[in-house]
Amino acid sequence: MKRTYEEINQKIQKGDAVVLTAEEIIEVVEREGIERATKEVDVVTTGTFGAMCSSGAFLNFGHSEPPMKMIKVWLNDVPAYAGLAAVDAYLGATEPREDGSIEYGGANVIEELVAGKAVRLRATSYGTDCYPRKDIDTFVSLKTLNQAYMYNPRNAYQNYGVATNSSERTLYTYMGKLLPRYGNATYSSAGQLSPLLNDPQLRTIGIGTRIFLGGAHGFVSWEGTQFKTNAAVLNGVPTGASRTLAVIGDLKEMSTEYVRAVSFNKYGLSLAVGIGIPIPILDEDMMRCVSIRDEQIFAPILDYAVQSRTKTPIREVSYAELRSGSIDINGKKVKTSALSSYYKARQIAEEVKKQVMNGEFLLTQLVQGLPAEKVQKPLELHTREEVE
Amino acid sequence: MPVKKFLLTFDPDLVSEPITFRMVKDFDLMINILRAEVDENGGRLMLALEGSGPQIQKAVKYLEDVGVAVQELKEYIRKDDAKCTNCGMCISICPVTAYQVDKKTWKVVFLNEKCIACGMCIDACPLGAIKLRAQA
Repeated sequence: MKRTYEEINQKIQKGDAVVLTAEEIIEVVEREGIERATKEVDVVTTGTFGAMCSSGAFLNFGHSEPPMKMIKVWLNDVPAYAGLAAVDAYLGATEPREDGSIEYGGANVIEELVAGKAVRLRATSYGTDCYPRKDIDTFVSLKTLNQAYMYNPRNAYQNYGVATNSSERTLYTYMGKLLPRYGNATYSSAGQLSPLLNDPQLRTIGIGTRIFLGGAHGFVSWEGTQFKTNAAVLNGVPTGASRTLAVIGDLKEMSTEYVRAVSFNKYGLSLAVGIGIPIPILDEDMMRCVSIRDEQIFAPILDYAVQSRTKTPIREVSYAELRSGSIDINGKKVKTSALSSYYKARQIAEEVKKQVMNGEFLLTQLVQGLPAEKVQKPLELHTREEVE
Repeated sequence: MPVKKFLLTFDPDLVSEPITFRMVKDFDLMINILRAEVDENGGRLMLALEGSGPQIQKAVKYLEDVGVAVQELKEYIRKDDAKCTNCGMCISICPVTAYQVDKKTWKVVFLNEKCIACGMCIDACPLGAIKLRAQA
C-alpha cells in the first residue's frame, strides 16, 4: 500500500489523520503487523530533547541614531560574532561570558531572550562616514529585535556513543560527570523516539522539511555538520553517531519549555533543544522504520579516559539495556544516566501528534534530500601544498 | 525503627573521644557513617542513626554534653522541579539511588529519606536544578 503527502495532508486538514507517536506505534505493529498498521496509520511522530552544542541565533538589532557598524558585540557580557552587516550578529550557545566564567554564556542569553527577558547589548566600533557611532550600551528583547532566529548547524544526531570512564579520577565532560573506575555511563539519544532513528535513510527528512523546533515550527535547512552515512548498521539503523541536521526556526515563537541552557561543570555550556519530526507513512517500508524499538538500537560504549578522537568501543549496548538503569561493562554492573530527557522527548512527540491531529501541522515533501553518502573527515596537520 | 541523619562538628580535643562506640554501646543505636573528615580544626561526622526515638534523643543529649555541635539533617539537598528536565543525569551519580526514574512517566523523583548528603549530584546537574538546601 502506498500513500502520498497530498493524501496525508488532505486527511490532516479534514481532521481525519490517524497519528501515533513512535513509541505507541511499536505496540500496534506488534499486535497487527506491518501491513495492517500501514493501512491504519498516516503519521508517526518523533521527539528528542537534549544538549545540542552546535546551536545559536542570528539577531538583527535595528539601527541606532546616529547609526553604527557594530564591530564587537556583547549580550549580557557574552561576545556575539558581528563580522556581518552593521547590526547583525550570531550568538553561539557555547560562547562563555567574557569574565572567564564557563557557567554563563550564549545558551543562557538565548534562554533569557526566549523567556521574554531584557538583555543588555553593548557594542563598539571604529566609526565610518556612513556609521559614525562608536559605542552603544542599551537593552534589547525579542520585542525589540527585528529578526531573531535560531540557526543550529548540528542538531538531532542520529544515534551517539555511550560515555564511561576507566580512569582513577572523575572526568568532567560534555557527556556529564563520569565517575572513576567505570562508576557510571551516560548516553544521549532518545532511541526509539529519536527523529533520525525512525527514518534512518532520511527518505522523508531533508531540506525544507517542517519540524518542531524549540516549541516553534522550524525547518531542516541543510545537512548538519559532521553528517556521515558510513557508520555500521544493525537492524536498519546506524550503531553510532551518524547523520545530523542543520535547522532553522523563529526564536520569537519558541518556549523555554523546549529551549534550555545547560552547563556541564568544568566543561562548559550547551543548549538543550527540543526537536520533533512527524514522519509520513508512505508505505510499508516507512512503517517498518518507525516501528524500531530500543531493543534493536545499539550504541558503542566509549571510554572517555582515552584522550583521543579514536576510541575503540568497549562493546555495543542496546538502548533497552541503557534504559534499564544499568549496563554490564567487563562484568561490572554500571549505573546509567540519560542526558537526553526521555520525558521531554515523549512530551514533544505528543505535542507534534496533537498539532498534526488538529490540522495545525502539515507535512512537507522535502525540497532536496540530504547526501546519500558522506564520510566525516578528521583534521590533520598539513602543509599548504598537501591541501591544495 | 526510625532513621535520623545528623551532622556532628567537634573541636580537635574531642577527636580522640570514641563517640560512635559510645552510641552503639550505651544507646543501642545502629550507626552508618556517611561522611567523616578530621583535620587540625577538628572533625565533621555525618551519621545516620537507627534506633528508638528516645534512644536517639539520649544519644544527642550525650553528644551535646561532651561538646559536640549536633545538627539534624532533615533535607540536605533540594531539586527544583521547575528547572529539572527529567533527563536523569543525577541517577547514575547518586551512590544510594536517592534519584529514581518512574518508568511510567519517565519523571525523575528524589527520595529525601535515601539521601546521605554526599553532595555528588549538585555539580552533576546540567540544569542547575539541584542545590544545597541552604542555597535553595
